[in-house]
Amino acid sequence: MPSNSESQCYFVQLQIDGYIDGDLNETQREVFTSHVHSCEACAQEFHYAQVVQDTFLELPQIDCDELVLEPIHRLSKGDGSGYGAEQVISRQSLLSQIRDLFISAPAFMRYGFPVVLTAVLAVLISTSVLNQDEVAPFNNQQLALESVEIYSPEEVFQALQDLNLAIDYLNQMGKRTEAMIGGRFLLTPLQDSINASFEKARIRNDEPLQNDPI
Amino acid sequence: MRVQYQQAIEQHRQRVYSFAHYSLRAKEDAEDVTQEVFIKLWQHWQKIDHSKLGGWLMRVAHNAVIDHVRKQRPGEANLDHYVDVDDQAGSGNQEAKFDQEIFKQQLQLAIKTLDDPFRSIIIMRDVQGLSYAEIQASLEMSESQVKVYLHRGRRKLRDNTNLRQLFESQFNGGSQTAKLVEPAARQSANDKGNSHAK
Repeated sequence: MPSNSESQCYFVQLQIDGYIDGDLNETQREVFTSHVHSCEACAQEFHYAQVVQDTFLELPQIDCDELVLEPIHRLSKGDGSGYGAEQVISRQSLLSQIRDLFISAPAFMRYGFPVVLTAVLAVLISTSVLNQDEVAPFNNQQLALESVEIYSPEEVFQALQDLNLAIDYLNQMGKRTEAMIGGRFLLTPLQDSINASFEKARIRNDEPLQNDPI
Repeated sequence: MRVQYQQAIEQHRQRVYSFAHYSLRAKEDAEDVTQEVFIKLWQHWQKIDHSKLGGWLMRVAHNAVIDHVRKQRPGEANLDHYVDVDDQAGSGNQEAKFDQEIFKQQLQLAIKTLDDPFRSIIIMRDVQGLSYAEIQASLEMSESQVKVYLHRGRRKLRDNTNLRQLFESQFNGGSQTAKLVEPAARQSANDKGNSHAK
């Protein structure tokens, strides 16, 4: 627990900067002054603060070498030689100029321009697609001609013969399959079994059927 | 525009460079900051409110200094400078005028060790003598915030061990009696001493 004197020292030392800056009122100043006169530790602390503040006044304002600002002067004169940052600056300034131009434009232009640009792009794209459709038959025809030119007439004739042979083979296979399905496996047995069922029923009931079978 | 730009450079170059010089350890860094500030001035010339050009430049300088401090590694401190100061401080039989010079150098080093915004505010207010309004504009703080940081920064500065030891060695353990200077008189001395900065 600090003593009364210690806590007073603490608060007085907190007020040192306020005293130096002239921020204390008259009563605070009197309390401060009387304490500093009577307390050696606070007097030393105050003296230290005064020395620091006086030394601040001794610190000079320093100017940079002219060479440091030479590239800056060249930049403003528009001489782009020999200083790497200038190129960056010119590029950035171009972008910033475009941005400024965009920002400074009226609202209807700012928002209208992208809409018009989009519409123009859409028209251009659709036009190119239509043109492509018109060109397509020509392209197919040309492609066919090109492909014909690749094979000799003998090769084409041989290919047609092979194709006819294949078609005949497929026709024969188709007829055989139809006969097999229709005659043996599906149609005839089913018809026979149904007729046999009706026959049995008629014998059992001894009554003629109203409806004929298939 | 070019003429006005050149005039602005001539008007503010010393203030910008001084701020960077007292904030950063290396001279080259201070020169880099000065260049960066005036390049940005050129880039943003059209958008700046030219009635507040001084505050704008100091704000840019402050930000550039912070960037450079972040880039600085601890080992990059200007050690030669420290050695010089320590050697000189070690010899006890120096003239009073020379001691003042050592204390000045040690004070500059102590300022550089402070964190931001304490460092910037002390440089702007105590070294460069800027008004509270100018500091407010530069750092975007209220006046009360600036004052609080200023007083805290000064206390941190006085707590610097090297600076305190140097003071105690030079002033015989503090046996000299403190001479109370009236605040008004000190204030006018402060303004007079920093009038070249305005």
